[in-house]
Amino acid sequence: MTTLAHIRITPSETLLNGKVISNSNISGIYREFIGDYPKFFKMDSLCKLGFIAAELILKGQTPEQKENASIILFNRNGSLITDRNYQKTIADDNYFPSPALFVYTLANIVTGEIAIRHKIYGESSFYVLSHQDDEMMLDVVKNAYLTSPPSFILTGWVDYEDEGNYLADIKLVTK
Amino acid sequence: MENLILQLKNQIIEVLNLEDMTAEDIDAEAPLFGDGLGLDSIDALELIVLLEREYGIKLSNPAEGKQIFKSIASIADYVSKNRKK
Repeated sequence: MTTLAHIRITPSETLLNGKVISNSNISGIYREFIGDYPKFFKMDSLCKLGFIAAELILKGQTPEQKENASIILFNRNGSLITDRNYQKTIADDNYFPSPALFVYTLANIVTGEIAIRHKIYGESSFYVLSHQDDEMMLDVVKNAYLTSPPSFILTGWVDYEDEGNYLADIKLVTK
Repeated sequence: MENLILQLKNQIIEVLNLEDMTAEDIDAEAPLFGDGLGLDSIDALELIVLLEREYGIKLSNPAEGKQIFKSIASIADYVSKNRKK
């Protein structure tokens, strides 16, 4: 596997290919580098994190390259923070469920948000693991090349626990 | 009616997470879907919930929705005539 690019986003810093490019939080990074996709504000925290990571790491990839790419992401917390927020909206007897929250109560929605934004039509999948198991993640990525090989794969860890604990550690890889 | 329009604008900004947007940025007559605010089908559901929760209005006929949710002004008009609270 060859790594084409690497992004790492934590609450304290954002590194692109090993170089610190920002110390902002997720919304700050959006305003600093993106700013032209109002739907960002409707997303849940996991999607926002995956979205900005993809925006930054996919710069330089052509539409043709992206069209045949794949997205394979992993995390530990699934969409738990949004699940809990949604649960709060249905906790009372006379409840009003929030459709806008409900649509994000699946972790794999983040792959869809990225695919829609970048017109990526290849395989997309999302795995919830007990921990960041690099060996297992690599096996899954290698398997993606067994059928119709993508132009590249956007893959890695994107996990959001709360505003002080999140990590996007994502690479663009090719065979 | 002006107060209701302003209230609706602020409620919509809040429930739809339209950050970076203020009530002044929204034209009460502008289309909510497609052009204008560019809302989608999930936003439409959120607006239906908003009308029920805040104004006690249950939309029983989905066909009415297209006209009611045309703009903030059309929502305000409908709310003023049908609100239960």
